[in-house]
Parts: sequence; structure tokens; C-alpha cells
Amino acid sequence: MNERNDERHSDDQHKPAARWASLWLITVSPTIWAVHFLLCYVTAAIWCARVVGRNGMLGDARLLIAAYTVVALVGIVLTAWRGYRQHSYGEGSAPHNEDSSEDRYRFLGYATLLLSGLSAVATIFVALSAVFIRSCA
Amino acid sequence: MTDSAAHPHDPADLERQKAQEARLAIPWQAPKGWRYWSAVNNTEVGQWYTTVAFVFFLFAGVLALLIRTQLAVPENDFLSAGTYNQIFTLHGSVMMFLFGVPIFEAFSILILPQLLGARDLPFPRLSAYGFWCFVIGGVFVCGSIFFGVAPEGGWFMYPPLTTAYQEGIGADIWLLGLSFIEIASIAAAVELIVGVLKTRPPGMRINLIPLYAWYILVVAGMILFAFPPLIAGDLLFELERAFDWPFFDHTRGGDPLLWQHLFWIFGHPEVYIIFLPAVALVAMIVPTAAQRPIVGYGWIVLAAVGTGFISFGLWVHHMFTTGMPGISLAFFSAASEAVAIPTGVQIFCFLATALAGRFTKSTPMLFVSGALAIFVLGGLTGVMVAVAPFDFQAHDTYFIVAHLHYVLIGGMLFPVTAGIYYFFPLRNGKQLSDKLGKIGFWLMFIGFNVAFLPMHFTGLLGMPRRVYTYPADMGFDVLNMVSTVGAFVFAAGVLVVLFDVVRPKGKQADSPRNPWRAGTLEWLAQMPPRNWGVRSIPIIKSRYPLWDQPNLMADVDAGRYYLADAEEGKRETLITSTIDSRPIQCLRVPGPTWITLWAAVFTGGAFILPTYKLYTAALVSAAIAGVVILAWLWTGTAQIPEKPEKDVGLGLKLPLYASGPKSVGWWAMFITMIGDMSAFASLVFGYFFFWTVHEDFPPDPLPGPGLTWPLLAAGLAIGSWALTLLARHLNRRDAAVGFYLSLGLAPVLTVGAAAALFAGPHLSGLDPTTHVYPATVWVLVLWTLIHFGIALIMQLYCIARRAAGRMTAVHDIDMQNVGLFWHFMLITVLVTVAVIAGFPRVA
Amino acid sequence: MKPTVLAPRSGLLLATAILLAGCDGPQSALAPAGDGAERIANLFWWMLGGSAVIWTLVLGLAAYVTRFSRGKHSLVASRWLILGGGVVFPTVVLSALLIYGLMLIPALRTPEDVGMRVEVSGEQWWWRVHYPSPDGGGPIELANEVRLPLGERVAFDLLSPDVIHSFWVPSLAGKVDMIPGRTTELIVQPTQLGTFRGACAEYCGTAHALMNFQVVVMEPAAFERWLAHQAEPAQPPRSEIAQRGLESFLANGCGACHAIRGTEADGRLGPDLTHVGSRLGLGADVLPNTTEAFVRWIGHTDRIKPDVRMPAYGMLPDDELAALATYLSELE
Repeated sequence: MNERNDERHSDDQHKPAARWASLWLITVSPTIWAVHFLLCYVTAAIWCARVVGRNGMLGDARLLIAAYTVVALVGIVLTAWRGYRQHSYGEGSAPHNEDSSEDRYRFLGYATLLLSGLSAVATIFVALSAVFIRSCA
Repeated sequence: MTDSAAHPHDPADLERQKAQEARLAIPWQAPKGWRYWSAVNNTEVGQWYTTVAFVFFLFAGVLALLIRTQLAVPENDFLSAGTYNQIFTLHGSVMMFLFGVPIFEAFSILILPQLLGARDLPFPRLSAYGFWCFVIGGVFVCGSIFFGVAPEGGWFMYPPLTTAYQEGIGADIWLLGLSFIEIASIAAAVELIVGVLKTRPPGMRINLIPLYAWYILVVAGMILFAFPPLIAGDLLFELERAFDWPFFDHTRGGDPLLWQHLFWIFGHPEVYIIFLPAVALVAMIVPTAAQRPIVGYGWIVLAAVGTGFISFGLWVHHMFTTGMPGISLAFFSAASEAVAIPTGVQIFCFLATALAGRFTKSTPMLFVSGALAIFVLGGLTGVMVAVAPFDFQAHDTYFIVAHLHYVLIGGMLFPVTAGIYYFFPLRNGKQLSDKLGKIGFWLMFIGFNVAFLPMHFTGLLGMPRRVYTYPADMGFDVLNMVSTVGAFVFAAGVLVVLFDVVRPKGKQADSPRNPWRAGTLEWLAQMPPRNWGVRSIPIIKSRYPLWDQPNLMADVDAGRYYLADAEEGKRETLITSTIDSRPIQCLRVPGPTWITLWAAVFTGGAFILPTYKLYTAALVSAAIAGVVILAWLWTGTAQIPEKPEKDVGLGLKLPLYASGPKSVGWWAMFITMIGDMSAFASLVFGYFFFWTVHEDFPPDPLPGPGLTWPLLAAGLAIGSWALTLLARHLNRRDAAVGFYLSLGLAPVLTVGAAAALFAGPHLSGLDPTTHVYPATVWVLVLWTLIHFGIALIMQLYCIARRAAGRMTAVHDIDMQNVGLFWHFMLITVLVTVAVIAGFPRVA
Repeated sequence: MKPTVLAPRSGLLLATAILLAGCDGPQSALAPAGDGAERIANLFWWMLGGSAVIWTLVLGLAAYVTRFSRGKHSLVASRWLILGGGVVFPTVVLSALLIYGLMLIPALRTPEDVGMRVEVSGEQWWWRVHYPSPDGGGPIELANEVRLPLGERVAFDLLSPDVIHSFWVPSLAGKVDMIPGRTTELIVQPTQLGTFRGACAEYCGTAHALMNFQVVVMEPAAFERWLAHQAEPAQPPRSEIAQRGLESFLANGCGACHAIRGTEADGRLGPDLTHVGSRLGLGADVLPNTTEAFVRWIGHTDRIKPDVRMPAYGMLPDDELAALATYLSELE
């Protein structure tokens, strides 16, 4: 779902807004959440099934989860920053409903920013599990 | 609009418009008489689809009333245990598979082109095929109850109850009948994604599309990741039932929990697949009622996309009581809490829109308000059951029955009814009755709450779900009686609405155009609407063009925009770019045909006949279906137009043919293969699932499939893939000899790769019925072999197309799509080989 | 309670009392008698209160915006509504709830301080129960009834040889599934004396509704006596009619499926009947434990419990059925 604006149309070709257009950006943060979630789940499942057993302690698995979380949050914050930059590009504030590639660019940035916020909260929620739960039981 | 706008009443101009209208009407008219059923246009197919989905809804509703009658008093003998179990199984299955999901697809097929100012969806025949599959599969599944052989394993079909402890063909009917329908659902999802991305009107950039389209995009995307795991699960399940491959049999290393994972990876997103489109309807109705644009468009997009993602992290909350490690429960509990946030955001966007606007009451809004009251309660109980400890009590009780009905009826049925009242004029130009609507609403609203509010309490008092009877002294009696009374009141309300919909409206005056003074494109429709959809395809500059673009309706009607004419007498619609919606192609869409019906009939045979163990007949049916589908592709797709481009109006010339990423077919292939990959990933998940739960998986010493044969298969597949890409390249350069050479050699390698892959487990003597390890290896091999079969046919098809002159250097859609398929084919082979041959050496 | 004084405060108390009385029931999660059930019921009342407030607020807001606010509010106010009501408020509330729930999970499942382990196997459609022998011998097999000492943490090892069942005693704790090929665990700590009812919560086939059991929480000393008694073999028939019952039991092959310790009957397919007369119900708590109920059960098993594996012995003469019933009901 990328689009190269290389064909005839009226927008100024030199503005980044007109040159760069992709829907994928808005999915980056939720994807980071999903990968983080899966990694946490798989790590814990393998840890409890194959490493320490049913009533074992999570121990180092919690450190791993903490590490995943830090990496995921950094990714989400970077994506959010990118989204914010796009959102505040040039003049114009939400709701970004103008018929121009600038506003479309700002809108996609805005949606990216919002989704990053949600993804961050959801990631922290998942990570909280490892704060309060110490054993496999 | 342009120069002609200067003379709106110029007689010559009027004459020209009339002639255009007459020409436009010809290709778009529906076939007459019995041929009517060969129609493929979205207006016809969408209407049939919607109607049939509602018929299934009414059927499942009657089943619900039977359930409530049985439970009205303790120790009732109105239904036998066996019949009751069939009825509740079918009630759940029909509501979810034959109403909940299809109704949104049906409704979207009907309405999406209107919303986007398109003439039709890009693949009308695919919609028709999906519809016929849906009808055949649905009738097959529902009909089973009349012969007393309906499935009785619950809509979740947990093995080993359903694999080894229930006789009869009920489970097969469920598995095969519904798998068949799932394929139709995926077909519709492909159609709708491409529809949203590629058939928007010029100027409707991604920040301007109607919210409904955003939701459809998200939901159709979710289908691609949610339904394939179930199809994979169904495959394992049917292999166990029919051929005794022990995936879920613990005595041979299987595990019943694998099914639960696969089922709920599908099952939980499915709830959102049902719920989000209903919110989408609300997102269309509320701004109209408030007479202002939605407040928080970006927030709603956030909510739709966010829900779509997070809904895939909830599945284990249906498995909280299976004794998984506490930490696993915690992760899923956390995600289940998090998903409430985007849901809340949507509700507050609607409230904020009402707050900022000048709100007017209407029957659709009445249903929306009812939906809000019910859904918020269902959402709150949802948050409760997301807290794992509370779920330990609530799970599998009437509390959950209450919760899910609050969510689904409040979150789906009420909004859908609102949608019926709101959009009904688009069907035949008549409005529904406000009076009947109000009566229906209050009966439904009161009946619903009387029926389901007490169930929360019944559940916490200890009544489990799926019990056909209960003893008298448990405190359940009064509550159940109240619920039954409520259910019948609710049913009366549904009947009132139904009557309003079906009552003859011949004498009733046509609705005015745009009766609700809405701002979105679907209300450009004339009353009664015409088959062509919009008179001409407008240029869009706003989220609410009817409010913000002065004179839009008159200009559209006067044919002052694109494709106002059909000079060649062909069905045409505009294809635009995905983000900024710049016109890139004039797409010829196909007209009426019977071939889709035949394809559906024989596909149905391939799924239905195995139920009765008629495997040969099923294979024959599948082969005929394959031939019919090939004939359909051969005659109806990638046709070379008579000229390279045409004038679509306003001085714009667009190509009539596009291939590669610019063509809708390429997108459809890409999206379909994403779904295919997620089914494959589910099978691979199965392999690693067994690895985590069993010490002896893969077994030591390893019985097979060895390293040599799988590696040979991988090597040959890489060769075939490379030759296919080379052929694509040579075709582009019009190097015919090279093309035929490379694409002639490629099928040989394909066959060789398939044979080598088969040889691995076969020669090492892996018997899939002995243990889950050989069964899991074989299922991955089987999956890949089926794909090799399809890949082979594709390679031969491209040779034939070029030989027949239907594919040229420029007109190479087929070759482009086959090349794309082969990328995914290669991933499938390499992953299969890595897993079955490589992983045991690492583990 | 003084019924004459109905000040608002006592009115509230009365309402609460009625509500709580309505929560009573032998199978109620809202009348907790165990540590787990108490914690979960507390959680529920908190969530119920919170939900009631939130529902009222949202619906009140909806009523306000659709009826009274006509154009009074700016776009800015609406945006703040989304941010405050749709984002900040739910995030805060959900975080708090999530942490509450997360802290509860270890509390409910920690295996520490477990005094006794009882093994329960769910089978279509009854419960096989194994207690550890009080004298350190092999486990004692019982069926369809569980007794627990007050205050002791007891771990249930849950199994199934056939399909998935779920072991649930709402008054004591949440449920845990019994999955073929796995052993799951449920920890229970009764806090009140009494008799409670358990049920299979996972749909397990035709007679899923008829798979229940009684749980009796006893003083520890009484429990010890009960367990010691259950460990003993069956008492010999005390009357002539009971003696005929035993003979009929053996002659009709009942012993192929049922065991009565101390007799030749040593079947393992069906429930152990050594002390069946001491139980509170019959047929997995489908019938009361009376001689008449035994007659009905043995004569018409299939009508009482559809698809049950035990064949109906309705063809036996009435007096033989009566003798069988007398013998079994005397097996206390």
C-alpha cells in the first residue's frame, strides 16, 4: 500500500508530503505491540513448559520480558516521533480533512501518533504482567 | 463544474445527457426472467446476500426460542438432551458463521460501491461465487437439524468430544460445511479490501474516505488473519475424523488444546469482525443525526486499526480455565483490558459528535441509542471477564451467555437494525415506517433486557452454560422463566421490524433523495436507485461531499464527471491509486454469468460429499470445480481490450488494461496469499506447539523425513521459481522462445519438487496414524503438495494463455500474478523444508 | 435486626440483606465459603459498583448530548470529551483493575501450604475421586462426592480419560478444566462449614447437565473420621433383603463395572460403590440418595441420564430391584 507520486498531478513534487505516501506507517506501532506480545507469550510458554516446569519461578524470563519491553517502547516512541513530525508538518492542525497531499500526509502522521499511544499503553499493560507475576503456577 | 455548467439548461446538453443515460443503462441492467439469477452486479448480489443472511438469522432465532422454551421451567422435557445439544450448537454456529460475519460482507457488497461512488466492486463474479457458496453451505449446515444429524459439539467443537466421542456425521457437517463458507468469507474480504483501496472516486484521499470504508478495510484485513487459522484447524480436525491422524488424541501424542488455540485465534477476532462493521454503521448514522462531521475522525481510525490488532492478542481469555501458567493468563488478561480503550474512544467520539452538533431524533438513532445502552453494559462485563480470576468463576456460565449477547446484540444487531432503517431507501426508494420502527424498537429493547439481564445473575448463582435442564431447588427457576418471557417479547420486536421490511410498499410515495440530509456519497442515489449506481463518478474534495461541495448532486446527475457514458456498451468503473486516489485505470467489470453458480455448486460438492465418505465423488466434484474456475478465468479475466485507453470524461484518458501492482488482480492475489500464509503459519504453529508441550517431539531417534529429499525438493522449487520469474521477464521483452523454454521447463521442476517432498516422509515410512509427529510432518507436506498442484496449473495456464494470444508482452496480468504467487509458493516450500528437515536437527 | 425501625440507613441494610439473600444458593459464586471464592466475589462487587457508576455516567452523558445540549458546546469541548472520557479515564481505571487482577492470580494459585492432595477425574458423566489413604497405603477411590476439612488448603489434581470436563464448586473457588492427557490443578481453602454443590462447567456431551456432585466441608476431626471410614471395606449386608441385593448385584454382573471393596465386585469402569449409601446424591447428584431413587436409577438409567454407559436393568423383577436398592442404600 505504498504509492509513488511519480505521475502527473498538481501537487508540488518537492514537498515530502507529496513524495512519500504509505499506509504501512500507521501499522508499525501496533505491529511492534504484536511482536512484543508474541515474544512475551512464547518466552513464558517455553520457559514454563521446557525450562523450569509447572510450578517453577519465572526468574530470568522476567528479565527477557523487560528487555523486550524496553526495545518495543523505544520503537514505538520513535514511530510516534515520526508520526508527530508528519502531523505537525507545515501549517494545519487536526482534523486534517483538506483535499491536499499535505493534509493527507499530516493525517497519516496523526493516525500513526495516536496508534503509537495506544500501542505503548497496551505494551505496558502486557509488561505489567511480568511485574506482578513471578512464578509459572 | 466545467464549461457545460455555464449552460445548465441548454437543450442540446439535455439531449446529450439523455442519450448518455440510455447508453449507460444498457450494460448495467439486470438480466430478466430466470436469467435474473445469473446477475453478478453488487446491487443484486448484495441484496440476495443480505436477505439470505437474515433468513439464517431468523432460523437461528427460532432455535433460540426453542432453547428458551426448554429452559423456562426446571426439569423440562420439551426437548431431549440430544436435540437440545444440536439446537444450541446450531444456534451459535449459524449466528456466528451464517449471520454475524456474512451480514457485514453482504451489506458491504451492497453499499460500499455507493459509498465510494463506484459502479461496482472490482470482482463482481467473485462476490457472486462467494454468495452461492454461502447459500449452498448454509442450507447444508442448517438443513441437518431437520434430519436429526446436526452437529452437537457446541459451536466451538472441542475435541476429543467431537473427534472420538460423538457418532454420526454432525461434526463433519459442521467442519466441511463451515470451511466452505469460510472460503466464501475470505473471497469477500479480498473483494472488499481491493474495493476500498482501488475503487475510490478521484480525489478521495485516504484522509477523506468515509469511516465505514476504514472499518471495512480493517475488518477485511482481520478476516485474512483470523479465518485461515480456523481453516487450518478444520483441516487437522477433518484429517483426524476421516483418516485417524491423531492431532488431538493424547494417547498418540496429540493435544486437544491445539484445537482450542486455533479455534480462538479465529474466534476472538471474529467477535470484532462482527462488531466493528456495526460500529461503522453507527459512524455513518451519528454524523447525519448531529448534522455535522464526525468529531475525532483520526481517533476513530485509531480505534478501528488498534482494535483490529489488539483483538488478536485476546484468544487465550477463552482458555483461562485450562490450567495454563499464570503468566500466560496475565498477558492475555492485559491485552483484553487494553482492547477496551479503543472501544471507549469510539463511543466517546460519537458522544462528542452529538455534543458538538445539533442533534435530531430519528428511528435509526433510536436503535443506535438502544445499542449504546446495551453495548456499554456488555463492554463493562467484558472488562470484568477479562480479569482472569473473575473469569475462573464466570467462564462457561450464564454470566458469559449474558455478556456475549449484550455485546453482540447491542454491538451488532441493534446497529444493524439502525442501519436497515437508515439505508433502506437505497434499496427501492421507499422509507420504512417510523411508527413500526418505534414499536419494534421498544419490544426488542425491553424484551432483550428482560431476557438477558437476569442471566448475569443466573450464571453467578452457578448455572453452567449448555445444560439442557437444571434441578428445581437451585434458585434458577424464576430467573429462567423471566428470561424466557423476555426472549419471546424480543422475538415479537424482531417480527415487527421484519414486517416493516417485507410489507408491500407499492402505494407508498418514494422517499425524497437524501432523506436524512446526510453528507456522504451513497446518498447521491436517485430514488428509486438505478443499477449503475452513480450517474457519473465525481471528484471528491471532502469527507462529507454532499455537505461541502456545492451543486455536487446536480453535476453528478448531469453527467459532468467521469464515466458518464458507456460508449462501448461495457460495464466500467474507475480504478484509482491507493493513497491519493488518482485515477489510474478504467476497469471493465464483467457482467451476468452462470459460471460462478456452477463453480460454487461443484466446489460445494467437493466439501459436502466427504461428509458422507464419498471421497471419489468429492474428488471428481473438485476436479470439475477446478475446470469450471479455469474456464471462468480463461473467458472472463485479463481480457485484452480493443484499444489501449479511453477518454473517461473531463479530458482524462485512462488505460483500459493494467498489470502488476497497478492492476486489481495483482492486489487480489497478494491479499489472498496473505490469507494463505496465515493458514500455513497456523499449521507451522501446530508443529511448534507440540514441540513446547512434549519432551519427545520431534522424537529421538528421528524416524524421518530425512534431509536429502526435502533439500532436493527445496532446490527444485527454487529452480522452478527462478524459471517462472525469468519467464515473466522474457514475456515482458516479448522473447517468445525464451519464454516457452523457461516456462516449459519450470513445470517439470515443479513436479520434481513435489515428488521429492513426498518422497521424504514416504520413503522413511512415516505413518500419520501412528503418532502426532508423522501426522504433523505429513500435514505440512500435504499443504505444500496442494500448493505445488496449484502452482503447476498456473504455469501451464500461462503457457496456454500466451499460445492462445490472450497474453502478450504488454498484456501480462496472468504472468505477473503467477510470478507473485510463486514468491509465496517458495516461502511455503522453504519454511516446510526448514521445519520438517531442519528443525529436528536444531532442537 | 429490629423490624420496627426503618430509618433510611436500615432500609439500605435491609435492601442489601435481601440482595445478599438472593445470592444464596448451594452453587452460588456470590455466597462464598472458600478463600478463592471470597476473593473473587470481592473483586466482583468492586467491579459491579464501578460498572454501575460508569454505565450511568455514559448513558447520562448520552442523554444529555442528545436531548439538552443542542449546539451549546464548542468543538473544543467535544475534543476534550474524547480525550478525557475516551482515553484518560478508561486507561486509569483499566490500569488499576489490571493490577488488582494480576495480584490476585498468584494469590489464588500459589501451591504453598497445601495440606492434602485429592485427585479427581471427570468421566462421562460422573467424577472419580481419589483420596490419599490416612494410613499411608494406596489411594482410596470414591466417587461423585468430595469432603474437605475446614480451613485446610487442598490441591485437586484434575484429570480426564475421555473428553474435556471442568471441575467447578462455585462457593469454594473458580473452575479448572480437566483435559485428557494433562493434569491440571485447583487449590481450594474452605472457610465455612456446609454442603455445597459442584458441577461440570465444560460441555462434555449429551448428559453434560447431569454431571454434578456434592461438596461437604467438615470440622477437621469429623473429616478424619469420615475419611477413615471411607477407607474401610464395605459392611456386610445386615438384613436378608440386603443379602439378596448383594447376590443380585454379583449375579447380574454389576461387579464388572463397579467395585464394592470387601466383595468380589472390583470393576473399575464405573463409580466405586463401597460407601455409596453415605453419599448425598445418586448418579452424579441427579437423584436424592433414597432406596426409591436407587430403584428408579437402576431400572431406568437411560431415561434419567441420556446416553449414560450403564445399561438400564428395568427387566429385573421388582422385588429384585428393591433388594438391590436396599443393599446399596445401606452401604454407608
